[in-house]
Amino acid sequence: MTPFMKTTLPTFVGVSALALVLAGCAGPEVKHVDSDSSRTVLGVDKINMQDWNMAADDMIKKLLDEVINQDKLQSADGPGKPSVMAISRVVNSTSEQFDNDMLLKRIRIALLQTGKVVVDITAGLGGPEDPLAEEAKRANAFAGGKKLRRPDYTLSGKILEDRSRAGNIREANYFFQLSLASTDGLAIWEAEKRITKQGKKSSVGF
Amino acid sequence: MNSPLFVLTLGLVATAILFPGCSTPKNVNSVELAVPVAQRATVADKSIITDSSLNQKARIIGVNQSTGAGGLLKVQVEVLNTTSSVQSFSYRWEWFDETGTIIETSMTTAVTRQIEGKESIFITGIAPKTTAKDFRLKLIEKLR
Repeated sequence: MTPFMKTTLPTFVGVSALALVLAGCAGPEVKHVDSDSSRTVLGVDKINMQDWNMAADDMIKKLLDEVINQDKLQSADGPGKPSVMAISRVVNSTSEQFDNDMLLKRIRIALLQTGKVVVDITAGLGGPEDPLAEEAKRANAFAGGKKLRRPDYTLSGKILEDRSRAGNIREANYFFQLSLASTDGLAIWEAEKRITKQGKKSSVGF
Repeated sequence: MNSPLFVLTLGLVATAILFPGCSTPKNVNSVELAVPVAQRATVADKSIITDSSLNQKARIIGVNQSTGAGGLLKVQVEVLNTTSSVQSFSYRWEWFDETGTIIETSMTTAVTRQIEGKESIFITGIAPKTTAKDFRLKLIEKLR
């Protein structure tokens, strides 16, 4: 072995080993994050997961506090029975396309969990959410000679946006509005959650 | 005139002029009744502080709770920013039944709040079920 090889070979081997180790430590580029945490991606260009979560949680909190916890709900089935709620129209007045269940599903789950509200998935604009359940409901009513159970309340709403820019700072304002109406058409509860975001580009967290 | 000294002086003067112009309001002044009409049903609380920096930015100074006609536990926590600048933090509620078992709920979002210098704000949480008898509030410093 020449003197050159004696000095160069160990260096080459060392550098190669280090490169391999570092490549092994790099790890995957993708990782799971808690969907409910503020570690999810946040940008001003769209309604992000954090926004949906915050809007839904705020609406749930207000519904629980101002309606459920005040014992305001009534049921056609009698005292102590859960009220029946149907989901009406939630208008999307933003520039984005999304499924309203991004907001509504969490609210429905939370209301059901209280034991004081059930959602009628056979009543809905544009057809029943569950056609089989609707068919079974009609068959049961016909067989029993009963009238179809109508919802005690309907939930409707609107989602709006307003955008502005000052210099290179962009701002997006989102308005989540919901109304709970009784069968006589009176809104017994209304709430609005505003979410404002400022930034230059998509980032994680605030 | 010595050129570097002139430039340095000019820079210092410009900085002194520009900085007050860029400053934003920092502390919050407030007023309230000397003897409040409302009496809070405060509860004894136990805080576990693992982040002393966060404890400066969002210090819990009071906890009170009530139960509504619908039987849901409602908790209100007063948080004070002891620093002189605007701060952000996130919080999340956890609810437990009488056996100490956590109640799974869809209200699990970490909510981010901003708090001005020396300002105190209220955070309210409402239990997801009437079986919730106990709570825990978690605070975390803003992420990035």
